[in-house]
Amino acid sequence: MVRRTVIVSLCLLFSVLTSGCWSSKEIEDLALYTGLALDVGEPAPVEKEFEEKGGTYSKQNKVVATVQVVPIKSASGSMDKKGGGGGGQQKPYSNVSGAGDSILEIFRQFSIRRDRPIIGHHLKVIIISAELLKRQTISQLMDFVMRDNDIRPSTMVYISQGTARDTLTSDQPNEIPSFHIMGMIRNQSRTSKVLSPVTLARLDALTYSKRSFVLQNLIKGDGEVEFSGAGIVKGDTGHWIGFLNQEDTECVAWLNNEGKAGAIKAYDSSGEPMTYEIKAMDSKITATADGGCISFSVKLSSEGRFIETWNDQDTSSSQEFADNAGRIFEAKLAKMMQALLGKLQNEYQCDAAGFGDKLAIQQPAVWKEVKDHWDEAFSKAKIEITYDLKITDFGSFTE
Amino acid sequence: MLSSIIAHIPDWLVFFQAAIAFLLPVGANYLYNILNAWGNTGRFTAAAAGRNAAHKDKTALSASQPSPSSASGTPFSGNYAADLQAIRSAIGSNSDLHFREFPLTKLHTKGTLIYVDGMQNDRLLNLRIMEYLMFEATADTLASPLNSVPAMPFSDLTAAADLTAFNRSVLFGHAGLLIDGMPHGLLIELPGGANRSVTEPVSEALLRGPRLGFSEVLSENTSMLRCQGFSDGLELKSYRIGNQMQKDLVIAYMKDIVNPELLQEVETRISTIDSDFLAESGYVEQLIEDNWLSPFQQVQNTERPDRVISALMEGRIAILLNGTPFALIVPVTFSMLLQSPEDYYERWLPGSLLRMLRFAAAFLALMAPALYISFISFHPGLIPTELAISIIEARQGVPFPSIIEVLILEVSIEILREAGIRLPKPVGPAMGIVGGLIIGDAAVNAGIVSPFLVIVVAVTAISSFSIPMYSAGITLRLLRFAGMLFAAFLGMFGTILFFLLLCSHLTKLKSFGVPYLTPVSPFRLRDWKDLFFRAPLSLMKRRPAMLKTQNDRRKSKV
Repeated sequence: MVRRTVIVSLCLLFSVLTSGCWSSKEIEDLALYTGLALDVGEPAPVEKEFEEKGGTYSKQNKVVATVQVVPIKSASGSMDKKGGGGGGQQKPYSNVSGAGDSILEIFRQFSIRRDRPIIGHHLKVIIISAELLKRQTISQLMDFVMRDNDIRPSTMVYISQGTARDTLTSDQPNEIPSFHIMGMIRNQSRTSKVLSPVTLARLDALTYSKRSFVLQNLIKGDGEVEFSGAGIVKGDTGHWIGFLNQEDTECVAWLNNEGKAGAIKAYDSSGEPMTYEIKAMDSKITATADGGCISFSVKLSSEGRFIETWNDQDTSSSQEFADNAGRIFEAKLAKMMQALLGKLQNEYQCDAAGFGDKLAIQQPAVWKEVKDHWDEAFSKAKIEITYDLKITDFGSFTE
Repeated sequence: MLSSIIAHIPDWLVFFQAAIAFLLPVGANYLYNILNAWGNTGRFTAAAAGRNAAHKDKTALSASQPSPSSASGTPFSGNYAADLQAIRSAIGSNSDLHFREFPLTKLHTKGTLIYVDGMQNDRLLNLRIMEYLMFEATADTLASPLNSVPAMPFSDLTAAADLTAFNRSVLFGHAGLLIDGMPHGLLIELPGGANRSVTEPVSEALLRGPRLGFSEVLSENTSMLRCQGFSDGLELKSYRIGNQMQKDLVIAYMKDIVNPELLQEVETRISTIDSDFLAESGYVEQLIEDNWLSPFQQVQNTERPDRVISALMEGRIAILLNGTPFALIVPVTFSMLLQSPEDYYERWLPGSLLRMLRFAAAFLALMAPALYISFISFHPGLIPTELAISIIEARQGVPFPSIIEVLILEVSIEILREAGIRLPKPVGPAMGIVGGLIIGDAAVNAGIVSPFLVIVVAVTAISSFSIPMYSAGITLRLLRFAGMLFAAFLGMFGTILFFLLLCSHLTKLKSFGVPYLTPVSPFRLRDWKDLFFRAPLSLMKRRPAMLKTQNDRRKSKV
């Protein structure tokens, strides 16, 4: 009896002890990567030196992946944070690049260079250079990050006009560039030049349905990054085809009903600038199909404030003045919209502003016929826009 | 056909894993049964209950009957000199025992007063009793017209049944009186040993509520219960428990509320207690509880008469033992451990808030270190990014895996707590400062633990202090370490397994026939009014359904 009890309890004990701390990985022995930049293949200087000494494997250098690893290991842990206040402005991140053909393979190449394995749970932003997206399709490049189950679907995807890995550097001493880029979308409440981010979850749907879409464009200048317009990715090819400028981007946001705020600046009759602050913006797109001819009528409405004028003479708050100013702003807006539609319909011939969605919802039968060659059909579609800007107040001023 | 079936048969490894997965709980259950059977020897069992019941004498205080004689004592011979000699030879060797022989002048006879030093009021003994006996007592008073007890003017006067009982009572502190010509020894004056004044209950302090706490004297404690209000429903039943040194034990209940089956069960368990001495009510608790292997207490202990009386009004039963201020309440459910009388004394909104806060605190006290370990060692993706980065930075100097780190700090905190209880009052605060400084700051600076862990452990410690029952707090402290081990082995999966294990244990646990987790499981919606939040008093119209009381209406009109 006692022997049997001892045997049973030993069995129970061993089954626990042999399993040990199953798959335990201490967090300080891991490295998080918070940003990923993809460029055209040109090995980084470090890698070139490795390769000169024979550190290479079979590859064609189709892509260069750069990960931003935080935090970098300091020699004495938390101690030097208190002591060494002025001791060398060390950057809180380190960027590691590798060239190759498969993103996962490049990641595994990092493992033979670094002391801590990298984990992708905290990946925040992915930046793809436009040049690379011209050569490879978006679904090829994003295949790994969408399959990997560490990387979250909330990761945001951006395009970069120049080298993508440059956007992951910063001159600011205590700033992690990928967090900076991630934080920039907070400004969506101030300007519609900041588009709603395309997350991996959205990207998955967009690439699967072969729809054209825009990705926010990042440019780098003198140590700072800027959201500057957007890059268009054409649905049927999956390649980048061109950029929209900042005003175009604002219009895309308005057409997609994603915009929340912004400013419209115009010049009055005497050539002085005046500005309309958008407090509310709304768009209503109605699709009609008449035989083979598809047409859209867009109603853009907005309420806002007359917020700034450089003309000392006309500080009037009369209705007449408001109507007059409203017409000037409307004209400016119309110019912007026409510029955008010109680019979309004629230059790039692709629908990146969500007109296809409206057609699919409002005229499903027509959509079924045209959806396989929608981008062509879109470029021939007739789009009419009506504007309704309402100046509700003039701010506070003394008359 | 056959080959397609064979293709679906898994290989041996899967069978082996299935066997382990099956045998592990079976083995654990086997171990549990063996341990349980082994530990139950010497405790009540259903079979033993009937057998032992006959040996115990019991008295109902309300009936004021003298206790029936136990068969074992030697009777009084009736001869004064012989009886005195017998007493002397039996207990006379005690140095604190006094024999005061004196003449009874009016009766022309003599008597002896036998008492123990310090247990009687000397002044009363000298002035009143001796004076009366020596100069006033007459033959009439010694004669017993009414009953066996002589008509002497003492409020507490009993005739001892036999010599053994007489000796025992004298040594317990009664004053014994032996008079020539009287067949029995008499016991006058209750024992009045050293005693402390009634103070506020230390272990269950309240801001609002009575400041009264039980004391060590059973009669005072029962009187405190009686003082709670006018009622003829409160019934107290007295037992004398213990083989070597006997002690008085009282069970209290409201006779028109309590469930008779529950009362029967409590009486049976009390009467089967087989122990030579009960030092504290904790002995009783451990000898009558349902499951001695459970980490959870199945009997509630309290120092507060108001808590006892409101438990009685719910249909529970209280057990009071002489010599301890801690009364026991049975049956107990899990939610009672996190309730405080103040929940009812404050208005219902703050009462409910505090109660939910306590549930949250109990969860933290139990799980916080386990969650820390599973986040740090297993699931770095579940921590917000900025926090993960600062944890990595903070932990880079720490040489230990998180389980060791947590154990170091948790064990030192527990040591500090244990030391704090035993420290003399003037040293206590100093110790708190030293402990806080050394363990918190110095350990971080020395790189033994990370600053983040100090927060976790501090929150855990504070949370466990917010649990109103001290013994429930100990249970959570104990289980916290088990949770930490589970987390260290299997991460979040292990933590969840641990929680499920606790839940399944609690569901199975019973206290005096009442499932421990009522009203959650079995589900009784009616009792949820007084679980996580406390409904307004006007809505609590009926007593808890789980106790199946005789009369479940709390209001005259429902």
